Amino acid sequence: MAEASTLLSMLRARLGPRLLQGTTLDQSGAVLAEVPRAELRDAASFVHSGLDARFVISVGTDCRPAGDGFRVDHVFSQDRRKTWILLRAYAPADDPSVPSITPLVPAAGWAEREFQDLLGIRAEGHPDPRRLVLPDDWPEALHPLRRDVPYDVHPEPASGTAPPLAAPPDGAMAVPIGPFFPVLEEPVFIKVFADGEEVVGLDYRGFFNHRGIEKLGDSKLTYNEVPFVAERICGICGFVHSTAYVQALENAAGIEAPLRARYIRSIVLELERIHSHLLWLGIAGHILGFDTVLMQAWRIREPVMWLMERMTGNRKSYGMNLVGGVRRDVPKGEHAEILRVLERVEKEWRKVVEAVLEDATLLMRLSKVGVLSTLTARELGSVGPTARGSNRPIDVRIDHPYAAYDRIEVKGVWKESCDAAGRTLVRLEEALESIRQVRQLLAEMPDGPLMHVFDEALPPGREGVSAVEAGRGEVIHYVMTGEDARPYRWRVRAPTYANLQALSASLQGMSIADVPITLGSMDPCFSCTERMQVLDVRSGDVRVYSPGELKQMARAAGRGRGRR
Amino acid sequence: MNGTASAMLGSLAWMALVLFASPLVEGVMRKVKAVIHSRKGPPIVQPYLDLAKLLVKEDLAGAPGLVARLAPPAAFACVLAAAFLVPVGVSPPAAGAGDLFVFIYLFTLSSACVMAAGLAHASPFSHLGSSREMMMVLTAEAVIVVSLIAVAVAGRGAVPASLGAAGFHWSSLLVLVCYLFAMQALLGKLPFDIPEAEQELMEGPFIEYSGPSLALFKWTFYMKQLVLGALFFHLFVGWPRIAGWGALGALGNLVITFGAVLALSLVVVLVDATNPRLRIDQSLRFFGVLIGVAAVGAGLAAFGW
Repeated sequence: MAEASTLLSMLRARLGPRLLQGTTLDQSGAVLAEVPRAELRDAASFVHSGLDARFVISVGTDCRPAGDGFRVDHVFSQDRRKTWILLRAYAPADDPSVPSITPLVPAAGWAEREFQDLLGIRAEGHPDPRRLVLPDDWPEALHPLRRDVPYDVHPEPASGTAPPLAAPPDGAMAVPIGPFFPVLEEPVFIKVFADGEEVVGLDYRGFFNHRGIEKLGDSKLTYNEVPFVAERICGICGFVHSTAYVQALENAAGIEAPLRARYIRSIVLELERIHSHLLWLGIAGHILGFDTVLMQAWRIREPVMWLMERMTGNRKSYGMNLVGGVRRDVPKGEHAEILRVLERVEKEWRKVVEAVLEDATLLMRLSKVGVLSTLTARELGSVGPTARGSNRPIDVRIDHPYAAYDRIEVKGVWKESCDAAGRTLVRLEEALESIRQVRQLLAEMPDGPLMHVFDEALPPGREGVSAVEAGRGEVIHYVMTGEDARPYRWRVRAPTYANLQALSASLQGMSIADVPITLGSMDPCFSCTERMQVLDVRSGDVRVYSPGELKQMARAAGRGRGRR
Repeated sequence: MNGTASAMLGSLAWMALVLFASPLVEGVMRKVKAVIHSRKGPPIVQPYLDLAKLLVKEDLAGAPGLVARLAPPAAFACVLAAAFLVPVGVSPPAAGAGDLFVFIYLFTLSSACVMAAGLAHASPFSHLGSSREMMMVLTAEAVIVVSLIAVAVAGRGAVPASLGAAGFHWSSLLVLVCYLFAMQALLGKLPFDIPEAEQELMEGPFIEYSGPSLALFKWTFYMKQLVLGALFFHLFVGWPRIAGWGALGALGNLVITFGAVLALSLVVVLVDATNPRLRIDQSLRFFGVLIGVAAVGAGLAAFGW
């Protein structure tokens, strides 16, 4: 809180009367600074350079029902001061536009395109205002996140549309990586321009899986239903999303989960990181054709999945979080089993680490590949192992402690090599560090209740922000409370959203052969970025389809009668 | 049984072995790879099942034109023909029909068919694959050529010679290593499966092929495995070999050769399973050095080492 007031006085000193409102947003001490729309660019530049804050995400909100027009928040993180900064500006309903900050803060490129797509708030002066999120056949004037657009709107599909991607430069060939590509488990289209084997540029089109989960949160789900949907944003690290969401709402509501619940959240988060990093190494090996690494890493990982099933009832999508606490205990009797699995994983993982470090051929394929300088990583807002592999000492567990991370020792891992090898080494070491953390958490976990009473009748308009360090980097959720026990606005940013914007920079001058591993070294999770889910949109129910049903649906879709 | 009939039978047996036992080598290699992976792996006969399945499937033409159609059977025929030049302990199947250079021509021609197949299609992946194949052939095959010359020099002191065993020379050890690496590359095994590079180029030159055409390409590679393996055995080991005993001896020699190839395939798969794929520039540098090493081997051989 002291840091918040320091930052506020710095903002006040610089902006003077242009600072329309300067206050703290929630109980985490996030700073809220409102400026007139015309001053947004200047203020953003000051926050970015003057306050040395890293751009995180933008949140666009439709405030027309309250008569406030449209609202844009640019979220920054001042990591050393452990404080979030929300820079806010309003645009009138009849002129929904704000000056783009992307020319000064390159990391905001996607975020501005996104509120342009989803809310129809134009980012004036954006260097690349093409569509980012909406499908190419989506009608021009329909902005799905506006309050007056129903969540289940189905515009007529159009034919003959194509992504407006750039043409290759003279003499270069376009190599289509995607929309479906063997080593990318999810659809994404990266058009790589190559001169012979050398990459000379690329263009990107993604968001093929966008399903509008934020919209569901605003219109269909209640506060305590959201965590279960949030967890399904990602098929690998879902718990980070449900944790970030409940923490953001706890911050907004001004409640704190009991200490034991926070320890349990940390334990599950670290176990999730362990299996996520093991999974990643396997995929990285596979990308390089080194399937022995894939098979062995996943074999070592499997007991962690069984452990999670034993602890939570599920290999994935644990369903542990509710606003105010967790639903299941990690009783004393289970500790021995957890420790036993960890010991086995650690022993085998150390062997893997040793083997990787000694494998000259493997290091040859990783060193000086996908080079991302420390400065570029900062400018483009990279997070997680992607940033730490480029010598950026940022880790949410240290910079914005949550759950039980303020109670235990957290050793940040960062490497100076700024390449795929650096990102690999960060993950190899982090998995071991996570194992150590789980041991400490288990040993020091206090007794006590698991749940803080949470009253869903929250006053509307309360805001909260929270981040969690996922395996891939920082996940950040913003929540603003609304009527009917559901969020008025819920904003999600997955780490891949931030990291993927650095792809172009890190591929310049690389060889075509390095494209998959460069992409892979960022551990991209496209659907996470796109907030996808398997969910019945009509009823809001999650249901499991039998293989037979799936086949039938696929056939129906093949005949053109499938559900959209 | 007279000599000619026995030679005929031997040749037929060798042809049958190359054609029908080569998928078995691949099957064994897959199984061994699975064991290294801690996997159960496919049945050893899986390559046969693969071929059978592909051969009865529809052959979807990825591009019009004769080149795209004829490349797979031509590549297949080249390797099969080359097989006849390898002495495997039956009376040399096609003795006198060709020498070292014909063997190299045939092998290079089969690689050229792969390149042509890639270039005949409009996919950037097949084009990249073909250009990589070309670079691999220019380097890896050059290593084989220099190795063969070294062996020929050691054995007969003269080039050209038919493919003949040299007996033991110190230079052979050097050349042997070069040959093994080049063989790994020509078989499209890691770390040198760069032209196909599943994760980068989605099988490169073969991306547009399906059904019987793809089966022929796959089969070609299985046969290459057997032929290059048999040649290695013949050039650098050469024993035990049964002399005499007519057809029975010839058959015995085939069995020994096949066993030796299986043993050699264990080395190939071990390297394959324990390495990531190199980049083409890294591979070119590697084989550039290897050509030099093989040349030194040839030089030593010329001085009788």
